[in-house]
Amino acid sequence: MNVLLAILWKDLLVEWRSRERVVAMLIFSLLVVVVFHFALPGGATAQTRDTAPGLLWVAYVFAALLGLGRAFTLELENDALSALALVPADRGWVFLGKGAANLVILAVVQAVTAAVFGLVFAIDLASIALPLAGVVALGSLGLCSVGTLFAAVAARTRFREVMLPLLLLPLLIPVLSGAVRATSVLLTTGELPFEPVQLLLVTDAAYLVVSFLCFEYVLDE
Amino acid sequence: MSAPADHTLKPRTLWASGLTLAVLAAAAAALVFTAPIDDTQGVIQKILYVHVPCAFSAYLGFAITAVAGALYLWRNDEIFDRVAAAAAEVGVLFCTLMILSGPIWAKGTWGHWWAWDPRLTVTLLLWFVYLAYLLLRSFTEGSARTARFAAVYGILGLFVVPLNYFAIELFGGAAMHPENLERGSLGAGMRWPFAMAVVAGIAAFVHLLLLRVDLGARRAAAELSAREGEFAD
Repeated sequence: MNVLLAILWKDLLVEWRSRERVVAMLIFSLLVVVVFHFALPGGATAQTRDTAPGLLWVAYVFAALLGLGRAFTLELENDALSALALVPADRGWVFLGKGAANLVILAVVQAVTAAVFGLVFAIDLASIALPLAGVVALGSLGLCSVGTLFAAVAARTRFREVMLPLLLLPLLIPVLSGAVRATSVLLTTGELPFEPVQLLLVTDAAYLVVSFLCFEYVLDE
Repeated sequence: MSAPADHTLKPRTLWASGLTLAVLAAAAAALVFTAPIDDTQGVIQKILYVHVPCAFSAYLGFAITAVAGALYLWRNDEIFDRVAAAAAEVGVLFCTLMILSGPIWAKGTWGHWWAWDPRLTVTLLLWFVYLAYLLLRSFTEGSARTARFAAVYGILGLFVVPLNYFAIELFGGAAMHPENLERGSLGAGMRWPFAMAVVAGIAAFVHLLLLRVDLGARRAAAELSAREGEFAD
């Protein structure tokens, strides 16, 4: 547990001092939102409301891929990753620490992106802010659990920038479809649907447990 | 300096190749000459005898990859890694054949190449997962590290199947595939040619798998002897 908190604190402190990752992710996800405006014929219309949940989540996943990739390449400098592997505790705690830091950094980016998204596409997100935050948190948990595991893998392959999305995207389909469906129902009815949230909960639990157990073999130097 | 690697095929391997080819030829003959022509779909329905055996072999290959990967992590024995890599490669080959033969059948019967049917979508995602698996293997350096990374990804790749099924069912995709084969989806006279085609498909899978495992072992032996040669120099 101490290992988790120590790594979470270290990652957030590094991020606070440099603010590299969060700024890059934020600019990138806002750019994606702008690109969507030009990619959709007609800009913000009633049609955009239907596609908005999907667009928002695509922006989130792209930003997350950018941030996750950075999470472990940072540790390659001065061979800090080997030092992390020497932690005198179960390496699963290292995974949870890194994952929690990724989750916090992603949450900041998501909040700002959602606010801008709501403004430019004329969608009222403020009235459903709390349940939406819950759905986003559940989706991000699944994203960051397998994301952190395979960011550690991809960081030590050739073409690591290419490898991470290739490894991650097929595994993110359950997370993405649950999150998009839940967000979509939330936007139209204002209520949380049961089935997509159930899918998110099951996927999160499964990914978290398997990633926790497998991290041992990924960090084993 | 150790003996140079042996590149010749053993007589046993040649016999097995001959036997596999004979079974494949018999199945091909059965589906051309004895399998009946479907009343409603016509001759295109005969793609069934290629499409379904490919599907069985592909699923078998991916299941073997995941199980062998888990066994590698547990026992740390290189043979399991060789089996996992071989099964993934052969599985991707059969999966590709299935994904190519399916749309031809669909276009001929339903009039469109592709539908986001649940089984089709899950298979497509599995294909992407194991293609990424093969890329991961080729982009990672060091055999032990490659084996560990690949094993973890192979396990998660199979793990995602029930989750994907659940996710796609939730979206209510219309099913084009029959639920199972026992419920009389095979017409009269199709059972024997179909059984033969499945036996031939599995035989081809097992034979290719064993050849690929043998190739992996030879490669490892060649690398080892090359390294020993470097030390001797």
